[in-house]
Amino acid sequence: MKRSGAAIVIEALCRNSVQTVFGYPGGAVLPIYDELYKNANRINHVLCAHEQNAAHAADGFARVTGKPGVVIATSGPGATNLVTGIANAYLDSVPLVAITGNVAVPLLGRDSFQEVDIVGITQEIVKHNFAVSDVRELSGVLDAAFKIAVSGRPGPVLVDIPKSIQTDLCDDSEFFPQDLFFKPLPEVDLTDALAALNEAERPMIYAGGGVVASGASEELALLADRLSAPVAFSMMGLTALPRDHKRNLGMCGMHGSRSSARVQDECDLILALGVRFSDRATGNVARYRNGKKIIHVDIDNAEIGKNAAADIELCGDVKDVLKKLLAVLPVQPRPDWDEAVRNAKKLDSLPVEQALTPRTLLKTVASYCSDDTVIATDVGQHQMWTMQYFPFKLPRTLLTSGGLGTMGFGLGAAIGGCIANDRKRTVLFTGDGSFGMCLQELATAVSQNLPLLIVIFNNGVLGMVRQWQTMFYEKHYSQTTLKRKTDFPALAQAFGAEGKKITDLAGLHAALQNLAEDRPTVLDCQLDMDEFVLPMIPPGGSVKDLIITKEK
Amino acid sequence: MERFIVELQVANHCGVLNRITGLYAKRKYNIDSLTVHETGDPTLSVMRIVSRGDTAIQRQMARQLRKLFDVKNVALLSNSGQ
Repeated sequence: MKRSGAAIVIEALCRNSVQTVFGYPGGAVLPIYDELYKNANRINHVLCAHEQNAAHAADGFARVTGKPGVVIATSGPGATNLVTGIANAYLDSVPLVAITGNVAVPLLGRDSFQEVDIVGITQEIVKHNFAVSDVRELSGVLDAAFKIAVSGRPGPVLVDIPKSIQTDLCDDSEFFPQDLFFKPLPEVDLTDALAALNEAERPMIYAGGGVVASGASEELALLADRLSAPVAFSMMGLTALPRDHKRNLGMCGMHGSRSSARVQDECDLILALGVRFSDRATGNVARYRNGKKIIHVDIDNAEIGKNAAADIELCGDVKDVLKKLLAVLPVQPRPDWDEAVRNAKKLDSLPVEQALTPRTLLKTVASYCSDDTVIATDVGQHQMWTMQYFPFKLPRTLLTSGGLGTMGFGLGAAIGGCIANDRKRTVLFTGDGSFGMCLQELATAVSQNLPLLIVIFNNGVLGMVRQWQTMFYEKHYSQTTLKRKTDFPALAQAFGAEGKKITDLAGLHAALQNLAEDRPTVLDCQLDMDEFVLPMIPPGGSVKDLIITKEK
Repeated sequence: MERFIVELQVANHCGVLNRITGLYAKRKYNIDSLTVHETGDPTLSVMRIVSRGDTAIQRQMARQLRKLFDVKNVALLSNSGQ
């Protein structure tokens, strides 16, 4: 039976277990949207307000499910609007399949209306991309795209399909496969790692997104106990252990916990699991190392030695490697180190606050959440406070832009995450700056009847940049004081959502007890513009430079 | 810095050279010289790329190149290991 390219797209989506896609129609994807119309019972298309947010929604969907998120956009501006979303997924190793239309094959290369070379544009921010040039290769390309997105270290894949190929006909027997080169992982030899762990007196585990991606939370908890090793997390790994787990030190790095800084300073071995030693997690790498032994486990061989040379390299899936390690690793009691870690953890206790502050705001919202509530954030101070104070319980409940630091990521991600989590209550912590970059997507949350709780940390400034200006630029508040007069509750209501201004904790409790179930609620929380995110290791510094308090 | 040669077996279709040189540009390594030619198997080409870097850089480039799905094989033609 002959099928159109557009119908082949639908078949490929179904074959790859896709039930939900995010997107925005346009001239160069009309044939695909016609097939989506005919196949509405098989594929649920979520219409977004902007392609960038559609990409973030697919990203959020993928982070919750672990399966590829799918986004569809038209050629030209539709495709270029995806770029930030694709880059975001790339930096955080999120499986994403982006499908773009392009102008018909005879019009390619002529600067035709809404033509861009999106394959060229996205080349450095995808795992792989495809410019489909023949309808007979389309089916194989799409299967390859889904395979690449999840194989090894996950990441985004883009498939660009000219409009004429969407309408070209072809029979299944004419399909030809893609010959791509998937390389096997090297064999893992644990001998050196076992010896090093055995010799270590003060081991620390530094765990990242690879632990969440490989579903290795259970193995991580077992390993930490087996080694008597505390665990500090990069932001991407933060949910791998419950926040109240006794070995959990919270986030490490620039705005990490004081305990993680102390332990990092005192340890003699770092067992790094699924991390890339990002500058935000390590500061100055040479001072970070300071003679410590590093064992680096990562599924991506190129990550090992990229930012920090490893003494022992273990290339493999974190879960697989930990299982092999646990099979042979004896229990290693380290009572003196346990005691030192317990003392370090005492550094993290903070005085009780009564007023509406970032910390009481987060703690109060958390008291209304369940263990599996999906939490999205935008980027800035509110994001760091969420990492510091929100008591995460389960992996895949945190949607945050780690590597790229994309302001405006949050609302799209919350929409995708909410839909992925059976449309249950989903929380977005955002700032007045970040929310301004994506708020048109309120329209989508309303049209989809999503019970989002959107908590705006409204301090009237771009708080993180202002904090740096206070600390490092002599309080020259260049373009960070917003002076906007946006009435967020009224804005929410204009979109068809609920909105409320929150000035104290009593008002916050009252609002949280009466949340709408069938539409989003925006809480516009008024906060002091000179709250700092602390502690802080200054950029390029080390734990020795930790700033603990700062006068406003 | 030490001069080193990377020899790649790659898929022979349009855009592959762009991916390889794009990777060098993205990682901020200069290419001193480059040759590409088709092999006896018309689906494959061989590239030889000369650039400079210490052992860590050589190994990093080889590993980054190995990740590309158009790259079948990577060999470092210098005295350092993979």
